Amino acid sequence: MLTSIKTNQFEGNKSKELAMMYFRVALILFGAQLLFGLIAAFQFIFPGFLFEVLDFSVARTVHINALVVWMLYAMIGSVYFLMPDETGVETVNIGLGKLAFWVLTAAVTVVVLVFLLIQVGSGTESSIWLINEGREYLEAPRWADIGIVVVVLIFYWNVFATFMKAKVKTGIMTVMVANLMALAGLYLAGMFFTDNISMDQYWWWWVIHLWVEATWEVFVGALAAYALIKLIGAKREIVEMWLWIEVLMLFGSGILGLGHHYFWIGTPEYWWEIGALFSALEPVPLVAMFVHVLYDWGKEQGAAHAKGEVGSVMKNGPAMAWIVLNAFGNFLGAGIWGFFHTLPQVNIYTHGTQFTAAHGHLAFFGAYATILVGMMYIGIQYAYGIKVMKATFKSKMGVFLIAFGVMGMTIALTIAGYEQVLIERAELGGGWNAFFTAQEMPWYIQAQLWRAIMGVVTFVGFIYLVWDMLTIGKAQASQLENAAVVA
Amino acid sequence: MANKNVSVWSSIPFWRRSAAWVTGFASILLVWLTFDSVGQITMGTDADIQKGVTKRVPAPTVINYKIGYKMSAKRGHEVPTIGEKELFFGKEWSPKEAAALLHLGKLTSQSKNCMDCHTLLGNGAYYAPDLTKAWIDPAWQNGGPLQGMTGKNTEEEAMAEFLQHPSQYSTHARMMPNLGITADEAKGLVAFLKHMSSIDTNGFPRNFSKTVETFKAGGSHAH
Amino acid sequence: MLFESFTDVVPSFFGWLNQGPMTLTIFLHTLIILPMFWIYHSEKKKLNK
Ligand code: HEC
Ligand code: HEM
Ligand code: HEM
Ligand SMILES: [Fe+2]
Repeated sequence: MLTSIKTNQFEGNKSKELAMMYFRVALILFGAQLLFGLIAAFQFIFPGFLFEVLDFSVARTVHINALVVWMLYAMIGSVYFLMPDETGVETVNIGLGKLAFWVLTAAVTVVVLVFLLIQVGSGTESSIWLINEGREYLEAPRWADIGIVVVVLIFYWNVFATFMKAKVKTGIMTVMVANLMALAGLYLAGMFFTDNISMDQYWWWWVIHLWVEATWEVFVGALAAYALIKLIGAKREIVEMWLWIEVLMLFGSGILGLGHHYFWIGTPEYWWEIGALFSALEPVPLVAMFVHVLYDWGKEQGAAHAKGEVGSVMKNGPAMAWIVLNAFGNFLGAGIWGFFHTLPQVNIYTHGTQFTAAHGHLAFFGAYATILVGMMYIGIQYAYGIKVMKATFKSKMGVFLIAFGVMGMTIALTIAGYEQVLIERAELGGGWNAFFTAQEMPWYIQAQLWRAIMGVVTFVGFIYLVWDMLTIGKAQASQLENAAVVA
Repeated sequence: MANKNVSVWSSIPFWRRSAAWVTGFASILLVWLTFDSVGQITMGTDADIQKGVTKRVPAPTVINYKIGYKMSAKRGHEVPTIGEKELFFGKEWSPKEAAALLHLGKLTSQSKNCMDCHTLLGNGAYYAPDLTKAWIDPAWQNGGPLQGMTGKNTEEEAMAEFLQHPSQYSTHARMMPNLGITADEAKGLVAFLKHMSSIDTNGFPRNFSKTVETFKAGGSHAH
Repeated sequence: MLFESFTDVVPSFFGWLNQGPMTLTIFLHTLIILPMFWIYHSEKKKLNK
């Protein structure tokens, strides 16, 4: 894939070429995310590791920011990729899109270097403008926030103008365009400073929760709809009807589900009820999405068999594997692990423990990493003009080891979280001493060890994934040529 | 004539309109709720504290008072209490001075990125203890091990000393690194932590006072 | 329940609705769902034409 820029056959489609540029950077940042996650995980076990050189906070900042940014890259890439197909017209301003890409990439590089080399500033406004905003996930300094807003505006203008030029406005594109506006607008809620930590956290959750449990989920719904049409030839009317149902349920539960973060940050007690009962419904659309993917797959396969066709209807094996993993992982990580701790009666004990980290990992991975990797495979297939792309040994190792590794980390963290909840919170009532008593429990330490081991497994899987992406296109494209020569 | 083949349940326009309605209305409700909540979590004033008006987030001058955390029969959980006056770094802070100190503390908490090791109000990272009620942690109070190790004899001075040289006062293999916190920034941070402990968090963390009681009764479960 | 003294810090519209068991959340869910019946019937009318 990284080499595909020269060997690919883009048939003059510049939007898809731009998409591949975004995918490439996304993959690199994904690798950076995993490396810094490993550093942070080792620091739990060997606290002296890189102490006062690259502290836990620095490793973690890079870990979670690389995560958010690679996903945004892959999301922008996915939109540029599907737009020509969904609108039937060429994206209006590729030149500006490319400029935005380079500006964003330069800004991300500078931000990461500052995180790594300067790390912290003094307690002044200028630190927040130039070095670190110090709010989880939104650590990027204010200058970068503004840069991101500008880049996103360019991107959005490109999407909107292309959409307006389209003769047919598909359901998928309509949802995309409306949803992206909300997604981009929400970022503004995180761009101000206040002395009041409750107010700070109130608006911080607007960005974080209304991203991952509303707008990003709807984005994934639209992406899955597109991928199902593309990969197994699912019927558009059915897919788009499901999409509207998903939008209804996702926004219907997710918007007020925000309340599950307002139990303990200083906000009124009425959020207990609102947060509990709206967020408890959030898993419903995730189940629906899961059923939808498997149902369509089974139906198309059945229809093909009925027509006497042999083999699979799948046009892209690795992409389909990642998208089925998405349906499953979204339901498990967000739906099940989210529901575990979403009621205030439970959350008062689990709030801010390793349990939260267990959910965060499986949810982000299951709901987003999977489908975005799937989109990258669709991109590779297109770049090399391959009709039916088959999974290789490397693709299988990639998907298996990464899924196994993340699931292993999640289970380890769930056990660690359970210990922490019982010892630190339930038995000892929190505080400095209670915290360390739980951290030093042998079973807690073992769980942290297993998390690190499973992190290494994930990383090995990632190496297979990259290796596969670098080679699969060329290998299968040349197989096609050989077959053509023989015939 | 009703056509048997067309059901509203499989009609795209029905779902599209419903989706638009539900999304729009849920958003309106959220905005409405936000006006109510933002009003309730806006910081109170010094006058509120003096008149005993309970605010979810009190004024910065709350640093001039003793903060407690007591079970409330009416609320069914623990709530912060604002007690009698006490000196903070040896003086009483005017509303202006207190606000400036809190401002410095909050800025420092962000520029030093406390949240990527600790949780504040339960949000953040899980590498180090939750700081929501750190101010009322018995370990920092007179006779507590954290205050004791710094050799200071007030809580605020002990915390400030620790924050400036955390890796000199290690109690566990997992240490807090030196973040280059100055004496002034440390004062600001302590004010920030004290103010945070006075926020009404609807009873989180639960049973925090239990540790306090057992501690006072001569040791905690932790040993 | 309704006539007990208010339990949260400050009385407010949503706070009052929150005094009974699940009253607030049922109220909000109902407000959101009810108009869908109307949407259903208006779509049905359109389809039947
Ligand atoms: C690199 C991670 C890291 C960062 C960043 C960090 N801390 Fe800590 N902090 C720790 C660790 C680890 C401990 C436990 C040290 C011990 O008990 O020996 C700790 C302990 C503390 C304690 C005492 C424990 C308690 O519960 O009262 C306080 C107070 C504290 N930190 C405040 C802060 C503040 C304020 C900041 C931001 C300016 C901050 N920390 C930034 C890791 C960090
Ligand atoms: C894809 C969707 C989701 C993603 C990516 C996601 C991710 C996360 C992350 C990263 C956090 C931790 C935030 C922090 O750092 O403080 C979190 C917290 C939380 N999530 Fe999710 N989540 C998703 C869906 C859900 C769902 C559907 C539910 C409920 C049914 C849920 C319930 C919660 C709760 C209750 C918390 C707060 C945990 C705490 O109190 O510490 N999440 N989520
Ligand atoms: C090599 C594999 C990985 C390792 C070793 C690792 C390690 C870590 C560590 C140590 C933390 C800090 C947790 C804490 O504060 O205690 C963390 C946080 C986080 N990681 Fe990972 N991680 C890995 C992969 C991933 C992947 C694949 C994802 C998602 C796609 C992810 C998403 C997150 C998120 C969302 C958080 C914040 C969680 C929260 O605040 O609740 N990580 N990770
Ligand atoms: Fe949430």
